[in-house]
Amino acid sequence: MATENLQIYDIKQEDERTLTIKWNSGRTQALDVVTLRKKCPCAACLDELTRKPILDPHSIPDSVRPLEINAIGRYAIGIKFNDGHATGIYTYDFLSKL
Amino acid sequence: MGLFTSSRDKVKASPIKGQDGPLQESTILNALKAVQDPDLHKDIVTLGFIKNLKISESLIAFEVNLTTPACPMKERIKNDCLSVLGDLAGGRKIEITMTAENPEKRPINAQLEASLGRVKNIIAVASGKGGVGKSTTTTNLAYALNALGAKVGILDADIYGPSIPLMTRPDAPNHNANNMLLPPEVDGVKIISMGLFTEKGKATILRGPMAGNVIRQFLMQVAWGELDYLLIDYPPGTGDIQLTISQTAPLSAAIMVTTPQEMSLIDVRKAVQMFETLKVPLLGVVETMSYFVCDGCEKKHFIFKSSGGEKLSQEFGLPILGRIPLDQSLVVASDEGKPAVKHQPNASGSLAYIECAAQMASQLSILNNKDQQAMHNFHITWK
Repeated sequence: MATENLQIYDIKQEDERTLTIKWNSGRTQALDVVTLRKKCPCAACLDELTRKPILDPHSIPDSVRPLEINAIGRYAIGIKFNDGHATGIYTYDFLSKL
Repeated sequence: MGLFTSSRDKVKASPIKGQDGPLQESTILNALKAVQDPDLHKDIVTLGFIKNLKISESLIAFEVNLTTPACPMKERIKNDCLSVLGDLAGGRKIEITMTAENPEKRPINAQLEASLGRVKNIIAVASGKGGVGKSTTTTNLAYALNALGAKVGILDADIYGPSIPLMTRPDAPNHNANNMLLPPEVDGVKIISMGLFTEKGKATILRGPMAGNVIRQFLMQVAWGELDYLLIDYPPGTGDIQLTISQTAPLSAAIMVTTPQEMSLIDVRKAVQMFETLKVPLLGVVETMSYFVCDGCEKKHFIFKSSGGEKLSQEFGLPILGRIPLDQSLVVASDEGKPAVKHQPNASGSLAYIECAAQMASQLSILNNKDQQAMHNFHITWK
């Protein structure tokens, strides 16, 4: 299993639609929360077997914002969005490749 | 930190003062917009890094407030500022102070605050296969850590086959005023197990999601109080329950339990991969049933040919935390609900577990020291 041992050193809201994550690699990554919603990796948004997108990114308004963001174990974050969607598990590996 | 003078100290009249009036803050800020934070891909003005801008006849002074004092781009940003302001300065000295935000208090997942808020380390005790001695190891390590002076709890996560109650005989749990479970204590170790809620000998018949709920309850609705170590006795396998724990609890690390045979190793490797995927650091390997000491000749008999612990340790670069002998006192003590480490501390099995606990604690300190900056239990409310 060749997964990098990514850890988060800091995570915070940068501005109204940007989440920044500081990784243990020293890299700081700025993530657009609207893009995160559009790329939600949960089984309702992404077909589990074919990995083809089910969610149409155009159906997501630019006004979508997180309500809260939580750690999931020590390998992922969960985001509760203001459109009611909260099932995505954004793994560190997934986030770092965005 | 410091005082920087523009490299372009050519003596010339200020191009701005005179024809265009005094140098404006906005002029400076516009110029600084050309300076990007290479990590955040935005300019430092938009990011709000510029603080306390002051302009006088002879001086331009401001602070650049970065996100971290250890920012590797600090020098580069400072030099970029100097170079974009050089032409505007008109002989004024440019004084840039690099500062950094103080890290705010790290937010803690509110759901876990009441239950695990004062638990310092949460350790998963896992193997792939059942019957290798996970529960015996968890119990004895708990009492060994306790004997070494630590406050310890055991969470028995084996919903379908809880063994911890047999090995420790806890009383029924009570509730506190907030309707949280109070884990019963046996000889100073706090214990929660499905076995405390079922009739002895009765099977727990639950589908996966319900079993997951029980585990979540054990993690969120038990008043664990102040603990140095909470050991979680994992059920065998790499399925639902294991994932639920790893997603809910902020695990500090895991230790792997294996017997010497390849048969046990096959599944332990899978569990190792699971923890790697979940980014839970592995502290090391405990090899159980390592050898048998003959009571007639005191010779160590290695009943299982291969040393599985050694193999696993080499394959994954994990230290061996302990080799536990086949010791009848461990078995009898477990069956009688009198953990060997507590009741027969001088038995060979007990001594091996005490040594193992010390090793585990020291590996954990090394890890904690190395990984001090990592955040594992954050909660952000979006504004």
